[in-house]
Amino acid sequence: MKKNCRVRKLSVGISFCLLLFVSACSKRSVEMTPSSSPSQQTRSVSLPDPDHPSPTVEITASPSTINIGSQATLRWKSTDSSSLMIDSGVGNVSEVGSLVISPRESTTYTVTAKGPGGEAVSSTRVTVIVNPKPIMVQTDIDNLQQAIDSGKVQPVFFDYDKATLTHEAKGILQENARIFLQFSNVEIVIEGHCDERGTEEYNLALGDRRAEIARNYLIEIGGDVNQLESLSFGEERPFSSGHDERSWRLNRRVHFTIQR
Amino acid sequence: MKLPVFIVCSLSCFLVLAEAQQADVAIYPRPREDTKLAVADFIPLTFASQDTQATLEVFNQVLWNDLKFSAFFQMPSKSFYPLKPLRFPRDVSFENWQAPTLDVDFLIFGNLQVDGTQVTVEAYLYDVKTQQQVLGKRYTVSENKLIRRVVHEFADQVVFQLSAGTSRGISRSQIAFTSLKGDSKEIYVMDYDGFNQQTITANGGLNKFPEWSADNSTLAFVSNLPNKSRWELWLQGLKGGRNIIPVSTSYVSSPAISPTSQSIAFSSRSPSKSDPDIYVTDLTGKGWRNLSNHPGIDTSPTWSPTGHQIAFVSDRTGTPQIWMVDADGSNLQRLVTEGGHCDSPNWSPNGRFVAYSWQAPTRWKHDVYVIEVASGKIFQLTSGNGSSENPHWSPDARHIAFQSTRTGSKQIFIMNADGKNVKQITAYGINGSPAWSRYIKLVEQEQDAQKEEEENK
Repeated sequence: MKKNCRVRKLSVGISFCLLLFVSACSKRSVEMTPSSSPSQQTRSVSLPDPDHPSPTVEITASPSTINIGSQATLRWKSTDSSSLMIDSGVGNVSEVGSLVISPRESTTYTVTAKGPGGEAVSSTRVTVIVNPKPIMVQTDIDNLQQAIDSGKVQPVFFDYDKATLTHEAKGILQENARIFLQFSNVEIVIEGHCDERGTEEYNLALGDRRAEIARNYLIEIGGDVNQLESLSFGEERPFSSGHDERSWRLNRRVHFTIQR
Repeated sequence: MKLPVFIVCSLSCFLVLAEAQQADVAIYPRPREDTKLAVADFIPLTFASQDTQATLEVFNQVLWNDLKFSAFFQMPSKSFYPLKPLRFPRDVSFENWQAPTLDVDFLIFGNLQVDGTQVTVEAYLYDVKTQQQVLGKRYTVSENKLIRRVVHEFADQVVFQLSAGTSRGISRSQIAFTSLKGDSKEIYVMDYDGFNQQTITANGGLNKFPEWSADNSTLAFVSNLPNKSRWELWLQGLKGGRNIIPVSTSYVSSPAISPTSQSIAFSSRSPSKSDPDIYVTDLTGKGWRNLSNHPGIDTSPTWSPTGHQIAFVSDRTGTPQIWMVDADGSNLQRLVTEGGHCDSPNWSPNGRFVAYSWQAPTRWKHDVYVIEVASGKIFQLTSGNGSSENPHWSPDARHIAFQSTRTGSKQIFIMNADGKNVKQITAYGINGSPAWSRYIKLVEQEQDAQKEEEENK
């Protein structure tokens, strides 16, 4: 509550200064933007222009606190703006919209609205609760390693230049997910790999997509987000060193290792 | 550590060429080869000790190679040269060098002496037609092994003079590259001719995509350390110091530092997405901007020399193609419209061209191409055996480094910007991702800058 009071005082203070400033400069009338709802962590400062109304913008996150791996929704709306940009990796967005996000660490999202009438800014913060790392038990590591080595945990393979899961791949991932849940305190690295035909840059990106798509599917069918990490190796770690389709087929894969 | 002494004395220097040769920047696709240059073997100043003889052999060979590869000159075979050894200007009979079989425009000669570990070189460049001296330099170095640096320095001076300032030469430039060491991939730097390899990383992990800062002080690359399940974006100072730019997912790739050294562009993925985009931040990792907010893979950014535009690779149309966007994210447009797979775009330092590798839809091997940005005209630079990829322009925009499997294993090559004069510069191991350094100042310019700095103090 204290914080809210301070925000209000601040915006009143700014309004007052603006009033003084503008009335000292000209006789134009001054219309302040109404201060936004006090429950939001929002401020909005705009300079008046009779021809172009000042843009307004407001962003909220719900819920504002999530566990790592869960999702929150950003919602924003803006008026009188020609461009709207959200930082922290979101980018340009339309005037009104929402986005489901899943940040891995606490993040402040700031939206900047620009228009002929000036600029407006609004921020909201998503707090991410990170669970302490699970304690890995050596026997679990050994048992899971054995499951990987013996082929109980299987890799999944992809078509050339594709990062989509085949029906067969989904079946394998369902079986793998069942095994991973038995060792929920062992962290697993989902490795994305490619054949040698693309360039190194493209393959590192393609391997990332393959690993992420496998990870998202595992989470979708009940996997533990805290247990699963994705990592691309591009074309750096082929199963088979040949230069023909038989080798390439084996190299376009996602396979699973234990995070040590 | 004792620093090597590197002294240059200008004996005299007449800039007689400024009027005779117009600066002709439009060199593509053929470099100007109308200047005929003779490079006489340097000879011992007094007596030829074994050390002097060995050093001379290196000196003469490297000087010839540097000037030949600069692609500015016609260089008649030494077998046509007059036999009389040239130690000093007074030894030159200019009429012999104008004989019809030779008829050179310019002549380089000089002398060299090894004294203990110290080497002294006097090098001359003469205009044969006017019989005037263009360059006269005395170099003294404290260590024999620095002789290659002396040659490169002089060769760049010659290119600078005879190209009327069009090029500052590339002989002192360096090339960063990756090399496989067992399971790991490490980053090295070598002279542009493949000599003098130096280790940059030895962390046992995978290190990829080295790229230089504009002042050559720093290499940006991505690194996956052993047992770490993430890629990291490193800025490694060549004289020590390291900065890691924080990214929020396990994927980051293909960094490129802006020409102003204010920003860095790279491919990464935000936690809320499953596809890589192009991002730009400052060099501390602040102020992230997404330049390619679009589903699909976006990677391999390269800056235009002004820093106003970025070319990058996107597979939003189905296969990886080269696109262009302003550095503020506006004016997105497709640059190459050929189908197949394109990657590794690299913008030429003069801004006219983007080099890239292209894989035709029916093949799996790549070749190196260049597109003229304004006209969209495409030139094929490599063909034939093996896959040729990862083109990277030289600082004078007249040459291109690339990797190729044409001789078996993956090695690094350099060539003229028209695809001619191909030269293999690595031979051992498996090497790739060449990144040619930016322009470096001539020693005089460095000294001037130092003086200025001191005066300002």
